Amino acid sequence: MNGLAPLLLLLTIAVPLAALVLVPLLTRPLRLLPWAALPGLATALLAPIGTRFELSLLLIGISVELDATAVLFLGFGSLLWLLAGFFATAYLRNSHNPQLFSAFWLLTLTGTLGTFIAADIAGFYLFFAMMSLAAYGLVIHERTESARRAGRIYIVLAVLGESALIAAFMLAATGATTLAFADVRAAMSDSAASSWVLAGLVLGFGIKAGLVPLHVWLPLAHPQAPTPASAVLSGVIVKAGIIGFMRLLPDAGVWPVASAALVAVGLFTAGYGVLIGLLQRDAKAILAYSTLSQMGLVVSVIGAALAATTRESHYAAVTLYVVHHGLAKGALFLGIGVLAAIGGRWRAPVLAALGVTALAIAGLPVSGGALAKLAIKGPLGGGMIGTMATLSAVGTALIMLRFLQVAGRGSRSSRLPGAWLMTFTWAATTLAALVLPWLLFERLSDLPRVSALTTASLWSGAWPILLALVVGALIMRATGGALPRVPQGDVVVLGEALARRLANVGSLLGARVSTLRAWLSARRVTVPLALIDRLERGLQSWSLSGSLALLLILTLAIALRLPG
Amino acid sequence: MNAVLPVLVLATSLLTALAIFPLAPARQRARTVINLVGALAKLVLVAIMLESVARGEVYETRLTLLPGLDFLLRVDALSLLFLTLSASLWLLTTIYAISYLGRGKNLSRFFGFFSLCVAATTGIALSGTLITFFIFYEVLTLATWPLVVHRGTTGAMAAGRRYLAYTLAGSAVLLVGIVWLESLTGPIEFARPGQLAGIDPGALKAIFWLLIAGLGVKTAIVPLHGWLPAAMVAPAPVSALLHAVAVVKAGAFGVVRIIYDVYGSGLVHELAVGLPLAIIASVTILYGSLRALQEVDIKRRLAYSTVSQVSYIVLGASVLGPFATIGGLVHLVHQGLMKITLFFAAGALSERLHIHKVSELNGVGRVMPWTAAAFTTAALGMVGVPPVAGFISKWYLGVGAVQGGFGWVIPVLVGSSLLNAAYFLPLVYRLWFAPMPAGTAPAGAVPGRERQVWLIIPMVITALAAILSGVLAGFALSPLGWATLIVERNYLP
Repeated sequence: MNGLAPLLLLLTIAVPLAALVLVPLLTRPLRLLPWAALPGLATALLAPIGTRFELSLLLIGISVELDATAVLFLGFGSLLWLLAGFFATAYLRNSHNPQLFSAFWLLTLTGTLGTFIAADIAGFYLFFAMMSLAAYGLVIHERTESARRAGRIYIVLAVLGESALIAAFMLAATGATTLAFADVRAAMSDSAASSWVLAGLVLGFGIKAGLVPLHVWLPLAHPQAPTPASAVLSGVIVKAGIIGFMRLLPDAGVWPVASAALVAVGLFTAGYGVLIGLLQRDAKAILAYSTLSQMGLVVSVIGAALAATTRESHYAAVTLYVVHHGLAKGALFLGIGVLAAIGGRWRAPVLAALGVTALAIAGLPVSGGALAKLAIKGPLGGGMIGTMATLSAVGTALIMLRFLQVAGRGSRSSRLPGAWLMTFTWAATTLAALVLPWLLFERLSDLPRVSALTTASLWSGAWPILLALVVGALIMRATGGALPRVPQGDVVVLGEALARRLANVGSLLGARVSTLRAWLSARRVTVPLALIDRLERGLQSWSLSGSLALLLILTLAIALRLPG
Repeated sequence: MNAVLPVLVLATSLLTALAIFPLAPARQRARTVINLVGALAKLVLVAIMLESVARGEVYETRLTLLPGLDFLLRVDALSLLFLTLSASLWLLTTIYAISYLGRGKNLSRFFGFFSLCVAATTGIALSGTLITFFIFYEVLTLATWPLVVHRGTTGAMAAGRRYLAYTLAGSAVLLVGIVWLESLTGPIEFARPGQLAGIDPGALKAIFWLLIAGLGVKTAIVPLHGWLPAAMVAPAPVSALLHAVAVVKAGAFGVVRIIYDVYGSGLVHELAVGLPLAIIASVTILYGSLRALQEVDIKRRLAYSTVSQVSYIVLGASVLGPFATIGGLVHLVHQGLMKITLFFAAGALSERLHIHKVSELNGVGRVMPWTAAAFTTAALGMVGVPPVAGFISKWYLGVGAVQGGFGWVIPVLVGSSLLNAAYFLPLVYRLWFAPMPAGTAPAGAVPGRERQVWLIIPMVITALAAILSGVLAGFALSPLGWATLIVERNYLP
């Protein structure tokens, strides 16, 4: 096996890329999708930790390695890609343009799995960019007006995130002996520019993980994508932001401010996602808000790790949490597709299973989610942060109940073709979400498995859900079920309005100028007219790029304070 | 043999030009054969020289014009970087131009000057002294003008006048700089350290800025860039040549020669002229991108994009560190590959579908998938998305700038990337994702049938080359490998 392991690791990337070449040649390219993730899964299961493959001649030299973190991310990631791939073959069987969808799917898949196994910042950036840009094609696949809008907002933030990352990487690489993560982290710790690097990383990875206020693309894009794509977007792709934090946040040096800031932003995101998510009326949008809330919680653990003496236990807990959340959230998204396809008789059992998965995310006792919650409890500690995290479990339970309420409302359709394949892959994902944490727990936590079965643990998992049931019932009674409505993407609406306003300023000014000119020419004042004409022409051509120029000058002004 | 090869390589283009001029306009086949034989012969010669220069050999041809005034052709690693680029793109552009211009008027004149233009570029690449450089630089100016005004319309004539006004003024300034410098030192040969020793730093500084200002016209450094967008009236292959291979590159190449092979990085550092030049280059990078954003005409947008991108080379040279120099040098090649792809695509779009405006691109990806794919590749490369070559340039420039103490260059690069995304991605969106407006599909436009295969093949090759230069950057004979060799061999202290 040892001889073949590096090859297997390479195939993780090479097979989906080779499949990409086949796409234009096939009439039913969707059938390629599940198998493209198979080498990744095989690598995670079979290749020993430490397997490495160097591609030193590619790009500026990239290498992939299966370390203890990569193996788990790769394992759950390729499993979800594989199952969602099967789901997609059924779900999109009559969709338009399967070639284009398959191509973007395969590119995004390659990018995601590559991000997980990259061993240096060059490879990481390559795969991260591949994933970010290709996912655009998944978001706008339906080609509806709302999908295009979601795509627009997605791509703007994705490009901003990429730019922040490349700036951070360039600054970080300067002092490093090699581009391997460990060397870059070490170099960052002594670099004077490290606070800038940190800012770039938080911006780049924060956008991907959905930290408020960089989250606005997430509740728009995840629901707009076709269901299997929503599953991988929310299940796997947001996790690329998390692994980015784990790979690159600087090692040494105490970072009290950065740590506190990350914890605060994370917890705020956790609460914000719940609050806004509760006010959504679309099941997929509720799930998307829950995703950003959960990622907020994870980021706060990472923030706590920054201030800790060692980070291993924090990061191990994060990994377990991410594996569980990815599979569970993927299962929930797929479940929505199953509900719509399965028809009458089978809706009730599907809904029940969805209920278990949903509450598992909130920490339902005995489920995989309870173990994930248990794992992060230690690193978060008992103080205010711990209390907030516990509170967030109540919030999570609330939003999940809301999800079940909305999902249960759907109309009873007749069974669609392909429903059984969809049901099967969804059931497999659900099973994985509930069981895998049990298998991984002792590898990632200092506690034994049975500690999840003590009365105290069972109770600490159960009471937030019970409390949420009570609170939810009270809210429904008080409001009569008529919750206020918040648009998907919440503050993005303000941003869009501002952008429109900015664009209008030019034309408004132009209108004022015309009025003035009419007034002047009525009084036969000719001298300023030519001046006004020139001014107007200038305004027209510069209204957009002028504001951009201002922005750039501002950025430069800030940047001039960059050391060295 | 070592003395003959530089002359031979120059002759391939020069003889092609001389053979084409007297041909009757109707003799298309003869013209094509001569063009292709010349271009292929040149490629073979370049390949031979690449192999031996990599081993450390140097080719030199010296001809004494007057006592103390040498005409010197010399092949070093830096000349080969530029020479290889121009030789390979000459072949592709010729193939493209033959198909693009079809059976138009005055083609013998056109291809004659086309070859002359490439001969001048070859001369610039091979020049071993400042005077030799200047001679070929002037030949280039004059050989390009008939190409710009080829169509003979009033617009073309106006653009031609503008081109001449700018470039001749630039040449005058350059000449003043050269004469002043050589009056202090005697004839200047490239890459011979110590030639400028003992000269008053004030004079050296003034001469430096004269030389840069003279070269800055062809390099299209703001505010000397006005001729470039105007010259967009020229046929697409000419734009491709102007932007990717010959004119702007000749300017940028000259700037590199001045900084490294006339002054030397040590002296540039002492005179403290690197920082102001880096600032000017940065302003050009941002200004060009901002103007590109405003243009609704595809070719004009590409023209301003060139203004921005060529200054990456100047930026890399002025920052001085090894990494930044590699980044600037390698961008000479990378920008050429990407920009020529964009112009080939723009030309194919206007030829096939009469598309000139950005807003007309909706849904074109279905009709011309190869063109759209090539355009997309090059556009992503310009933005700096890996694995396309542009990423490599940006990475080296960025890291090199920080190493050289120019940390503020990073926001310039990132801002430029963002602006590139802002003016290229909407085009990519329109090509692939925007619905084609009903009823506007041009007659005979069968989806997937692009016909005119010789318009398509060159751009597919250059797009692939742009990808491969990025993906395989680690190989010794990649543009990055060669740029690294140049820096290791010549510019490391």
